[in-house]
Amino acid sequence: MAVEVVIENLSKVFPPNVKALENVSFKIKPKEFFVILGPSGSGKTTLLRIIAGLEVPTKGRVIIGDRVVVDAEKGIYVEPKDRNIGMVFQNWALYPHMTAYENIAFPLRIKRLPKDEIDRRVKEVAEALGIIDLLNRKPAHMSGGQQQRVALARALAKQPDVLLLDEPFSNLDARIRVTAREFVREIQKKLGITTILVTHDQADAFAVGDRVMVLRNGVIQQIGKPKELYDEPRNLFVANFIGDPPMNIVKVNTSNEIIHRLDITEHIGSVKQLKYLYIGIRPDEAQAITSREGMLKGYVRLIEYAGSRKYAKVEVTPNITLKVLASEDVEEDTTVDIEVKKVHVFNENGERIKTITY
Amino acid sequence: MGDITTQRLMFKSPIKWLVINAIAWIIGVLWITPFIGIFMTSIRPFSEVVSGWWTIHPFTVTFENYFEALFNPMFSLYKGLINSLIIAVPSTLIPVFLASLAAYAFARFSLPIKNYLFATILFLMAVPQQMTIIPIFFMLNNMHLLNTYLGLILVHSSWGIPWIIFFLRNYFSLLPVELEEAAKVDGASYRQIYFKIVLPVALPGIVSAAVLQFAWVWNDFFFALMLIFDPDKMVVTQMLPRLKGQYQVDWGLLSAGSVIAMIVPILVYALFNRYYVSGFRGWAMKR
Amino acid sequence: MVVKVKTPLTTKVTFLLPASLLVLTFVVYPIIATIMLSFNINPIPNVNVVGDRKPGLENYVKVLTNFKFINIEGLKSFSFPMGAIIHNIIWIAIHLPLTLITGLLLAILLQNVKGGTIIRSFIFLGMVIPMIVGGLLIQFSFDRDLGVVNLFLKIMGLGFIARSWTIYPDTALFSLILGSVWLWTGFTVTMYSAGLASIPKEVIEAAIVDGADFKTILFKIIIPLLRPVTITVVAMTILWDLKIFDIVYASTQGGPGGASMVLALLMYDFFARLQDYPLSATVAVILTVVTLPVVALWIKATLRGGKT
Repeated sequence: MAVEVVIENLSKVFPPNVKALENVSFKIKPKEFFVILGPSGSGKTTLLRIIAGLEVPTKGRVIIGDRVVVDAEKGIYVEPKDRNIGMVFQNWALYPHMTAYENIAFPLRIKRLPKDEIDRRVKEVAEALGIIDLLNRKPAHMSGGQQQRVALARALAKQPDVLLLDEPFSNLDARIRVTAREFVREIQKKLGITTILVTHDQADAFAVGDRVMVLRNGVIQQIGKPKELYDEPRNLFVANFIGDPPMNIVKVNTSNEIIHRLDITEHIGSVKQLKYLYIGIRPDEAQAITSREGMLKGYVRLIEYAGSRKYAKVEVTPNITLKVLASEDVEEDTTVDIEVKKVHVFNENGERIKTITY
Repeated sequence: MGDITTQRLMFKSPIKWLVINAIAWIIGVLWITPFIGIFMTSIRPFSEVVSGWWTIHPFTVTFENYFEALFNPMFSLYKGLINSLIIAVPSTLIPVFLASLAAYAFARFSLPIKNYLFATILFLMAVPQQMTIIPIFFMLNNMHLLNTYLGLILVHSSWGIPWIIFFLRNYFSLLPVELEEAAKVDGASYRQIYFKIVLPVALPGIVSAAVLQFAWVWNDFFFALMLIFDPDKMVVTQMLPRLKGQYQVDWGLLSAGSVIAMIVPILVYALFNRYYVSGFRGWAMKR
Repeated sequence: MVVKVKTPLTTKVTFLLPASLLVLTFVVYPIIATIMLSFNINPIPNVNVVGDRKPGLENYVKVLTNFKFINIEGLKSFSFPMGAIIHNIIWIAIHLPLTLITGLLLAILLQNVKGGTIIRSFIFLGMVIPMIVGGLLIQFSFDRDLGVVNLFLKIMGLGFIARSWTIYPDTALFSLILGSVWLWTGFTVTMYSAGLASIPKEVIEAAIVDGADFKTILFKIIIPLLRPVTITVVAMTILWDLKIFDIVYASTQGGPGGASMVLALLMYDFFARLQDYPLSATVAVILTVVTLPVVALWIKATLRGGKT
């Protein structure tokens, strides 16, 4: 039975006066895989801990299913154990003195379920997560990936309404990380459980999230599907935080000739009321070429390789250098044309005004 | 400080290295000479050692001194060992258990005037035993607990609690709090969190505290001296000075008694070395 | 309205109450009662410990003028007994620097010697055994015929001064103090060894690269870095010296003629021999007050550092 989670006007102030969250509201749909993405100190873990009941908000409320689990104004607070949530901690927090079996059975034993029921459920979830062979091992004798699966099994064994994941991949090696993401995603889809994941890593967020919320200094920046965040970042922070390599962002006077070259006035109308604006070009949405004319021209300062891709750092004007994809024949210390496919335009406050596709 | 580093610094030549090692070992052996002496004296007839235990002609091994000390008609150290054990075991279990609960509260709960309470605990660790004993003497007398095992056990337990709180609070605060949070999310109550998660995970710290508390109670002399008078109930450290004799010190008897009294703490130290050393720093305060 | 993740009051009480009850009954209350007693205020119901004395400072005057507490005659001629408080001060004056220096040097030495751990545990034995045995071992080692001290004197050709050092007023206290150095060095060595182990290797190596010799490294790097350890060691050593009891009780009983009397033993003497409880309590209070500056320093350092 999947439930929805509603967060309303949530604020959290830590003494003396550290604002961790400011008036945060959003809704997570049943069965949704929802990702909270933000740099360290953005308040994302605090938010998760408030949902879990390990922390309480200064203002606002949280509703899980049809039940208010915390309401700062009305003084309602439901203990974590009564919220029917499963949680995987950043370092997995496996009980070191218990075997995997005992770890998974722990929440069920606390609930005083009958022994055979516990056994059935542990084996069931262990089966689903492919850790049957590990059940008699203690955490010290497992790899990081295995520990993570056991932690996940422990969280799932009690069949929670909501699954909370706090940076579950950050302690894994890069290689295992990819499989772990796919695995978590698969399990979540199979069980159809409402899931909230917190991470600082956009690759995590994009790999698993149905929707992603970007948080910065306790304020929601944008909520949307991964593709929306990438294609239509609401502001400079999101634009810069999402995408790898990061977007080229240049601050230009409205009289700058690059504005003319990119036909920006034509697309967004008059820019006369603005002193300056920001132009964002994703490295993957522009290409340095030699074979034909492009909208911009420049001098190649540096060539970089990232996997199969090749990027060029092109000096367009003395103050503006753009990192863009480079076609095969582009070389260092040559003059090239840049073919621009898409430009994001932001106003003085950093809000996106328009995305121009050429 | 690395071995190689200072070695290079302190002894530039192999000869110097040899000399320094020899000096260190000579110091080490000299340091335990009194122990060797008391042991040699204890296993030989007194007539052999009157002009020094280091004379080895003749060398007769006898356990007479031990028999005499263990089954002395007035102060039987055998009984003393039993009494010490009867006192020391509960005086270890009770305070370690109770103090571990309080230490957990100090490590994890928000308490009013926590810092003052903690400073008080530090003060109580440092207070001399003499500062409490007179009222204890009369209180126990009122409660008919003077000259009883229970009275001494109560006093030792209470006396041990402050340092164990101090030691275990530090230990608990270093444990990852996520384990307890995970248990909380899993539905565990505070009691369950404490007994099923915290205690097992903190076991090395608990053992350290227990080992040192046991050694402390076993080695204590002052409380026993003040609170137990009946020779049948006396602990081993308390009987020892009474074996001395009024005018002439009988070193044969006394050396055997000394070995008997110190063998238990030395064994505890040898067997639980790791735990002993790790708990040692907090404990030294109350000596 | 403010909600809080709080531990229920009953939980806090359950965790704290049992320990608190014992400590309040058998530690805190007795401390307060001892203070009351020292001012001739009867603290214990059902028993009159004070007798017909009037509340006041009478006991303090008595103790402070008692020759066993401080002996002006002895002080003037620098001959024992000089009084318990003076003996404790002498104890600190000799024992503290000796154990500190010995401990540090041995810790450095043993860190660089094969089997250093074994030698360290030899030295540590003094901390493991009951102090009552420690006292007997001291008396034994200073014995004229059996003692190893006189053996060394003989070896060095000083056999003619050999005697049972603990039974003469002029040497009893010094013998015990030297013996206590032997027992307590295990503590300083252990503390300093732990401290040395925590000094990063790179710091010393950097100094060697900079061309510093051993003396410079010892005084400019090791000793300053060991300052926190030294503070703990000094505080604990002084406290131990002030509380010294078992060693003296086992070896000299404070004698001969009070020549090795110390504060803790004086308290016992007034309690057991004179059965003057208020007077005994007063000595206990004075002993505690003398420890207070050191205790305060240690508490402050501990609260600040979070650790000993």
